[in-house]
Amino acid sequence: MSWQLLAFYVLAAVMLYSAFRVATVPNVAHAAVYLAVTFVGMAGLFLLLQAEFLAAVQVLVYVGAVMTLLIFAIALSDPRSLKPDSGPWARQLLSLRWGFLPLGISLLLFALLLYAYGSSPLPEVTRGTPPGVKELGRVILTTYLLPFEVASVLLLAALIGALAIARSSREGAE
Amino acid sequence: MTGPSASHFFVLAAALFCLGLYAALRRRNAVLILMGIEMMLNAANLNLVAFARYLHPDPAPGQSFAVFVMAVAAAEVAVGLAIVLALARRRKTVDVNEINLMGG
Repeated sequence: MSWQLLAFYVLAAVMLYSAFRVATVPNVAHAAVYLAVTFVGMAGLFLLLQAEFLAAVQVLVYVGAVMTLLIFAIALSDPRSLKPDSGPWARQLLSLRWGFLPLGISLLLFALLLYAYGSSPLPEVTRGTPPGVKELGRVILTTYLLPFEVASVLLLAALIGALAIARSSREGAE
Repeated sequence: MTGPSASHFFVLAAALFCLGLYAALRRRNAVLILMGIEMMLNAANLNLVAFARYLHPDPAPGQSFAVFVMAVAAAEVAVGLAIVLALARRRKTVDVNEINLMGG
């Protein structure tokens, strides 16, 4: 077994466990920490796929920015949300509404995806060389210039929208 | 020396997507639902990069679209959390079962 395969299995095990804990751990703050572990593992997988720039962006954007936002939101939202989400784990799993339905839908989707992967043969393609930051920047600013501009407008709109939504409620309360 | 194949990454991405879906469907806290959605977007990104690495002659387009997906995810979580904070201030709850303002 090569070290890449070993690293993949270790990362996959850590990520699957922490992703499962995000869905089941009662404490909201603990779920945020487990989500951060999943994001760091994803950066490791990007390194295995030889996407070094994406791994760096993953750590910067998800672990740096998104996790900070989530933790601030947990701290600023109602303190009751820090209490356990609902009753004991076994009872939640057995309850018809909140246990079986989400679990059933997720498992059904997983089975469908596995069936789709299993039934369709993957094409044999000559692999290209992984792009460096220079090549990636060239592609984004030439071939995909329009999506790039749309993404920047979207980010500006999200910035203004988030400010407006988070501010106006405060002024309305005064 | 054989590294992980494309199928390894696809199965892992599918499992992570389904776990994210499970978290988003199961949780009642709006912040945790956003976390599940982030995980689903991240799993889709992994699929995109794995496809670009193994099944396409040129990996650059797949990786650039993964960057765009990250930008959309960041915008989504910023607006989503602003809405959650506004709800927490006004309605004093982040439980999606109690938020039925437009439900009639």
